Amino acid sequence: MSSMNNIINEIKAALAPLKMETPADKQIAAVVRPEAIHNSLSYLRQRGFTQLCIVTCIDWIKDSEFELVYILFSWTDGIHVQLRARVDRNNPVMVTATDIFPGARYYEREVTEFFGVEFTGNEDAGKPLFLEIWDDLPPLRKDFDPQAYSDSKFPMRERGNEFVSEIGGTEK
Amino acid sequence: MVLKNDDNRNIWEKIGDYFSANSIWMKWYCTGCGAIEMPPTMTSRFDMERLGMGPMATPRQADVLLITGYLSTKTLRRVIYSYEQMNSPCFIVAFGSCTINGGIYYDSYATIGRLDKYLPVDLYIAGCMPRPETIMNGFNELIQMIKKGEAKGWKHYQENYEWYKKNQLDSLGEIIIKDEFHE
Repeated sequence: MSSMNNIINEIKAALAPLKMETPADKQIAAVVRPEAIHNSLSYLRQRGFTQLCIVTCIDWIKDSEFELVYILFSWTDGIHVQLRARVDRNNPVMVTATDIFPGARYYEREVTEFFGVEFTGNEDAGKPLFLEIWDDLPPLRKDFDPQAYSDSKFPMRERGNEFVSEIGGTEK
Repeated sequence: MVLKNDDNRNIWEKIGDYFSANSIWMKWYCTGCGAIEMPPTMTSRFDMERLGMGPMATPRQADVLLITGYLSTKTLRRVIYSYEQMNSPCFIVAFGSCTINGGIYYDSYATIGRLDKYLPVDLYIAGCMPRPETIMNGFNELIQMIKKGEAKGWKHYQENYEWYKKNQLDSLGEIIIKDEFHE
């Protein structure tokens, strides 16, 4: 078992990240360039971070970028590593991680479905996973309006104003 | 949906309703969070079997379809499949505020607003979530409704099948279930 500082130094030397921080005890976060994600993942995998906990995405709409987040865990050191990279929002493409972590198949499908990020090399990535028949923007993008979609698809119950007047609200 | 109480049952239907009211087998469609109120209702604390209701394994053998909470569009397709397998007379009890008007998921892209557009609901149990006492009270109400011949949602579904199908297709696109893990 190596100490936290050793691991931080090793990762710093091997990945040359743009930014590195320790958000909490036993957690390391590293920001890398999107081209470096694949090499970084394969380095961390052979370094002992054998479990891919999640692949997810954050929509930074003001920066016009998607941030992909990979969280890895090492069972020998008990340390989480968070690997982040930002891709262009207008052309979101990332290389698949399925050749390193086969379980990434489903996480990548989920990110494709909810954010529209394309994963090259994952032949399943276009298939729907949770949403069966979807005909709109990917729903977790910030510019998607769930209220408008819900109103157009799912009719709500019509109400009179009898409840509103009882609690002293405004009457029509 | 307005169900009028015009009691034009013949004697055999009255007898049938009397007996079916006294042995209610439920199929719980436990997808929503309200399902967590069912274990205390059926186990020793509240013990609903003393009131004549029991759980049943499959929709084909059940009388009541209990829908506990919110329904996503994906779940609603399965619920429609399950409901159409049930033998009539069959009753739907909708549970929790999500089935009434969407509950806290009123603006969700994935969950439906109100259930009675898609399936004939005989009885609502309101609450987020309803206590076990409320559930048992609701089921007593359902028993009385069956005895009086007021629980006629299944007839309404047969008579207004086109209306229900149209609503289902408008919201769901199609009802065919595509499940890659069971193909």
